[in-house]
This record gives sequence, structure tokens and C-alpha cells, in this order.
Amino acid sequence: MESPLLFWGVILWMIVWGAVGSVVLRRRYLHRDLDTTNTVFVGAMSGAALGPVGLAPLWLTTPKLGNLLIIAPALLTVFLIAVAFSFADPDNICVTSSGFVASQAVNGLIIGIIYGFMALGLTLIFSILGIVSFAHGEFYMVGGMLVYFISAVWLPGVPPLVAVMGACAIAFLIGAVFERLMLTPMYRGKIDRPVEYGILVTFGLAFTMQYFVQAVAGANPVKAQRFIDFPRMRWPEDSDPIWVKTSRGGVTLFEQVSVSNPRLIAAVTCVLVLLALMYLLHRTWTGKALRAVSQDRDAAAIAGINPDRMNMLAFALGGMIAALAGALLVQAFSWLPQVGNIPAMRSFVIVVLGGLGSLPGAFLGGIMVGLVEAAGTGCIPDAQKAASYIPAYGMIVLTLTLLLRPTGMFGRRFAAGTHGKF
Amino acid sequence: MTSFTRRSLLGASAMALALTSGAAFAADCPIKIGGMAPLSAPGTVVGGEAMRDAMLIAEEDINAAGGVLGCEVEVVIGDTEGLPEKGAALMEKFITQDGVVAVGGGYHSSVGVASKDVAEARGVPVVFAETWNDTITGDKQKFIFRIAPLSSWASSTIWKHTLEVPGVQKVAILTENTDYGIPAAQETTKGLEGGGKEVETFSVDIGTQDYAGIVQRMKAGDPDMIIVLATGEAGYNFQQQASDAGIGSLDIPFHAGQVSLESKAYWENVPDGNYAFVQRIGVPETLFTDEGKAFAAKYKERTGKDAVESYAMEAYDSIAIIAQAIAEAGSTDGEAIVAALENIEHHGTLGKIYFPYGTKKDPSEDGKGDEWWHQWPDVALTVIQYQTEGESSGGATIVWPEAYRTGDPVYVHQ
Repeated sequence: MESPLLFWGVILWMIVWGAVGSVVLRRRYLHRDLDTTNTVFVGAMSGAALGPVGLAPLWLTTPKLGNLLIIAPALLTVFLIAVAFSFADPDNICVTSSGFVASQAVNGLIIGIIYGFMALGLTLIFSILGIVSFAHGEFYMVGGMLVYFISAVWLPGVPPLVAVMGACAIAFLIGAVFERLMLTPMYRGKIDRPVEYGILVTFGLAFTMQYFVQAVAGANPVKAQRFIDFPRMRWPEDSDPIWVKTSRGGVTLFEQVSVSNPRLIAAVTCVLVLLALMYLLHRTWTGKALRAVSQDRDAAAIAGINPDRMNMLAFALGGMIAALAGALLVQAFSWLPQVGNIPAMRSFVIVVLGGLGSLPGAFLGGIMVGLVEAAGTGCIPDAQKAASYIPAYGMIVLTLTLLLRPTGMFGRRFAAGTHGKF
Repeated sequence: MTSFTRRSLLGASAMALALTSGAAFAADCPIKIGGMAPLSAPGTVVGGEAMRDAMLIAEEDINAAGGVLGCEVEVVIGDTEGLPEKGAALMEKFITQDGVVAVGGGYHSSVGVASKDVAEARGVPVVFAETWNDTITGDKQKFIFRIAPLSSWASSTIWKHTLEVPGVQKVAILTENTDYGIPAAQETTKGLEGGGKEVETFSVDIGTQDYAGIVQRMKAGDPDMIIVLATGEAGYNFQQQASDAGIGSLDIPFHAGQVSLESKAYWENVPDGNYAFVQRIGVPETLFTDEGKAFAAKYKERTGKDAVESYAMEAYDSIAIIAQAIAEAGSTDGEAIVAALENIEHHGTLGKIYFPYGTKKDPSEDGKGDEWWHQWPDVALTVIQYQTEGESSGGATIVWPEAYRTGDPVYVHQ
């Protein structure tokens, strides 16, 4: 970095005014007996972005802190950090190459969509059952393993779609059976500390699944072949640069942004399944019943919904979503029984970041983590450190979020239907 | 030498030593030898399983030849998971619970670095099979021996070969943040920069899966060649993702991680991995010793593989040399085994193994660094290149050094 003092000076300025803003604005709203829900976040972001100039109007007028006042200072803060970085390190590839930035952004977005999709399953389980499933990474692993074994070992030559659907069906079944056998005692008053029981029993499921797969399938890395090969194409033929160029292994946009075939297929499938899931949750009786249980379990029961059945459906569906993410990525990554450990940790980060129990929060949180990881990997001046810190980027975002907005981006105070009631 | 004569010799020597040593009859039977291998992620499981199979074959061969000191040998296999803390705990367990008299095997350098102090403190000899970090022997510990190459020495194979690849000016290195990866990257960088090359290093945590961001950054730097110094499936993940981005072994000269010697797993995980260069320890199969040929035949039959990996041979030799040392010491006492190892001449699968430097002669007497303490100095290092999709590492073309060369390298960028 050419001028580290400039960059770190700006960061220090932001931290100081952010801290001042978060404290001052909350006190001001408290003093006026107003809703303080978003005051820490808005105060911190306004202070960081504009210093006293941003805080003074808020302090004087104490406006209602709606979406605009939440999002605008946050985006401005990110923009100012980027500007400070570009002045401090003008030769950095993130400053000099727009193609590289676009490439990192697209790849960050794509992996973020997949992260978010996986986290969706975790947050769905939490919002209905009120427990954090520690077996989420193992469902992801099992999904990939099943696709590999179905398509390469048990039924060689079977279409990948059949293998993916088979993996999802089996994962759904595992989730449903486990919920019936191991989680139902939680709802029937047979367990003294049901929340802790839920955590421990899913931990048990995680170990069982991981070591069962290792015992049966071995611990060697396996990988499914690409589901489909893209046809070779250049469009438009005589343009310079060519807008879209495809090879069997990937797509290149404007001769700058390359995305591998397996990731693109995985991301597109995740978006399609997400849309289907939204349809299920918002347009069908079953989905509405699930949402009702998530909001108020007792009221849902009075309305004729069987909450226990919804619990089973939510756990099975959540596990199946993780399995689908794994099933789609087994063509991109080498697969081992322990492959779910890192994605599971990342999912925990994402659901807390997005707000426990919030489906849109999980999805947006995933995209945010994907983009932050891509920015960190691409822009940190020391290449050696940039790659080493990948696991830390999500944690930094999570820490900041918890400091400024403990409920996460879209979180509710009591997100789960059963949370806090056992 | 045939398998039969080798067994006869082993049996005869064991019998002779048993008859001449009173301590022989004092040994607790069976004599237990620890065998360290990474059998779970994030360790290199393919390598660990190969080493485990090899060490169990060694156990069978030793027992078939009459055992040691009148006892059967039992190799107690332990999983290090490729993690230093697990390695240190495993060493403690081997010694205090399993009652091993010596330990062989070991794949990851970080495990070797962490576990060697436990063995040293408890006076149990260790012959590390595949841990390369220089400090493992460089600390000049009494009970620590190694038959794998030094990291600095192995790195020199890579950079010397890279310097001979035409048209390469800028090299990108992907390394893991471990006791193997960091010094290996430093040594390789030093060698390449000394040869006038430009080097950029990217280091990652062991077990990293997603390299999209790193690959894009590496690609933006427009390297002429890529070198991978990562163990385990991380090497597979990176190489295939680099291939997807157009900087794989089909596009530019690419030196893959050593795990790529596992041909079956390699081709399944890196379908676009043709023309990759891979470092290999040991001479080509046609030049194997009789012991090497016998082991290779048995190993291939047992595992169904069509090639024998260098770390499998090292693992076999690490157990066999301990058994010979116990026999020659006539005792399972740690000090006696160390004394025997310092004077040993073991005809193993990799060649004649001996340790010229130790308590009887310091490496400095020959102007050598401390890392040569208890270090086998004659490890053969070669570079192979896959030139046909799906081929086995055993049959791949040896392209470096000149002395072992079996074919011309293919330079994909030309």
C-alpha cells in the first residue's frame, strides 16, 4: 500500500465517529422516549460516513429510522472506504482493473448465492423448531456423497438430475425420520431442557452421519463429473470484445469475467429452488401453515394446524436444502466426509448476520459474505495474507453486525415459534 | 534379491540376534511399533491410507520372516488428521497407552514438528517417513530420525526444474499455512528469484475448498507457471478450479501437489489435469531395488492400484528399519534402538538407508547444517509429468533430472 497512513487514518476517523454516533444517537432517542431499535446502527453508520455533519441533523430532528436512513449511510460508509482505499493504494489491482473487480464481484455473488441458499435451510429449521441444527453441514456432505454414489457407483450413467433428486429425497427422509424419533420428545414435555437437548441431539446426528459415511464410503476425496458441458459458443460472433463466450467448462463475459460451469449451474439452480420455496411458503396452505407456526405456535394450533407435523416438515426441508447445496457443489469441489464443517460454520455466521429465523436475511447474508470474501481475497495488497484470511472476512462482518445490530439484518427479537417458550 | 531370500535373511538375522541377546527374551510380546498417518480430513487421507496399507504390509513381512527378538511385531496405526495437536496427542497415546517401543510413518510436517518433542521427552525413537520440514531433524534430537527428504532439498528439485522450463519468467506459488508449506514456499521462492524469476506467493489454510477469488487474482497476475505446495484434496480443488479459469495444467506449465501421485483419485478429482508436473521421491519403478519390487507387487495386489506411491515406500521402510534396529540392538530400549539406528545399514524399498550424522559424527564436521542430523542423505528426487489422461503415476514420464529421464517434457504453452 502506497499511503497506509491515509487509509488507516480514514478508518480510525470512521471508528471514532461511528462509536460516538452509536452512543449519542441512542441516548438522544431514549431521552425523547422514542424507539431505539435501529439507533446504534444508524448512529454508527452516519457517524462513520459523515462524522458530525451526519450526526447533527439526526440528533436535532430525531426522525423515524426507516429503511432509507438505515441503508443509505451504510452504503455511503462502504463507498468512502473504497474511495480511501483507491487513494491509498492506487496501483492495487482492485483500483486499476475494472475487469478484475467485475470478475471478483460476479464470483463473490455466485458463491454468496450458494452460501445463502444453504443457510436458508438452517434458518428455516430455527424459525419453526427454535433449535440450531448442528447437523446442517452433514446434510450438505450427504447430499454430495449421494450424488456421487448414485451417478458414479450405484447407477453409472444415470442423468445428474435423477441423482440430485434422489439425494434430496434421501436427505428429506433422513431429516423426517430423525425429527420423529429424536426431536418429538422436546415438544411433549419429556425433556427438562429442550433447547439444550435440541443442540446436543443434532450434534449427535452430525457425528453419526459423518462417521457413518466415513466407515461406509471411506475418507478418500471423490468428485462427480460435470453435470452438463456447455456448448462452445461466441456471441456476438464478430464483436470485440465478445460479450459471451462459452466453453464446456465455463462462461466468460466480455472476455473479463469467467465463471466455471459447476458454480453457474449450482447458483442458477439455487435461485430457481429459492423461488419455488418462496412460492411454497407464501402461496400454498402448507407454506402458510409453516409460517404461522413460526410466528405463533399456539395460535397456529388453534387454527387447526398440526405444529408437530410442521416441525417434521421444516427439519426435513431444511436438511434437504443443505443436501441440495451439496449435491450441486460435488461437481465443483472434492468431497470428503468432513467437507461440511466449513460450510456449516459459514451458515451459522450467515444466519446470525441475516437475523435468526429470517429467510431473506439468510439469503442476503450469504451474498454479503460471498462479496466480502471476494473483496478481501482480491484487494488486500499482500497476496499471501489475502488468501490466508478468507475464513476471517465473514467473522469480521458478523462481529460488526452483532455490535451494531444484535438481531442481525432482518432479525426479530423472538424469531422462532418455540424459542424461549420451553 | 527375491522376496524369499529377503525373508530368509531377515529371519536369519532376527534369529541370530535373538540367540545372542539376553534382552531378546525379556521383550514383551508382541513388540508394538506406532504407525502415524493422516486418516481423516483435513489431513491428506489418500496419502494416509496408502501409508497405513504399507505399514501393515511391513508388519506382515517382518512377522513372516520370524518377527523380532522372538516376538511378533504389531504396528499400531493412529490417525493424526494432519493436525499438529492431534499428532502430539497421538504420540502421547502411543507411548503411554499402547506401549509402543518406537514410531514410524508420519505425513504432514506440522504433525512431525509437534509430535517429535513428545517422543524425545519420553525417550521413544521415531523414524519419520514423509515429514519434510527441516527443523524436524534440525533440532538435533537424540530420538528423532527421518528417511524423507529435507524440505529445502525437496524444494530445490522444484525450483531447479522450473528454471529449466522454457519461457517462464513469472511464477505463482500456492502454498498451505503449515510447517511444510511455508518453508517450502520460502525455499522455492529463494531459488527461483536467484534464477532471475519473479514470484508471487498465495498461502491458504489447510483444507481450503473454494479458490475462486485466489484463482482470479492469480490469473490477473498473468503467471507463466504455477507451483502447488499444498497437501491433500486442497491440491485437487485448486488445480481443477485453476483449470476451469484457464490457468490449469492444460494452459500453462503447472507443478501439482504431491498428492497427485494418487493417480485414481487424481483423475477423478482433476479431470483436466493432464500435463501436470509432479515431484516424486524415489527412482523409477524399473530401477527399484529387489525389496522395492517385492513391496510394489504386494502393495499393488493389496490395494488394487497400478502404481506405488513414494510415501507408501517410505512408510514401509520406516517400520522395517525400526524392526531391524530393534533386532540389532537386541532390546526394545529406546537408547539401544537409537544406537542401532545410528549404525544401521538397511536395504529398504527406497535403497540403502543409513544415517551418517548423529551423536557419533556431527553434520558440522562435514560442513553441513544441523538439518542433516539423523537424516538419510541419499533420497532420489524426480519430477514426472502426466502426458496421457488417466495414466498411472508409476507409468508417467520422468522428465527431470536428466539421470532418470524417460521421456521429453510437454510444454503446453509452446
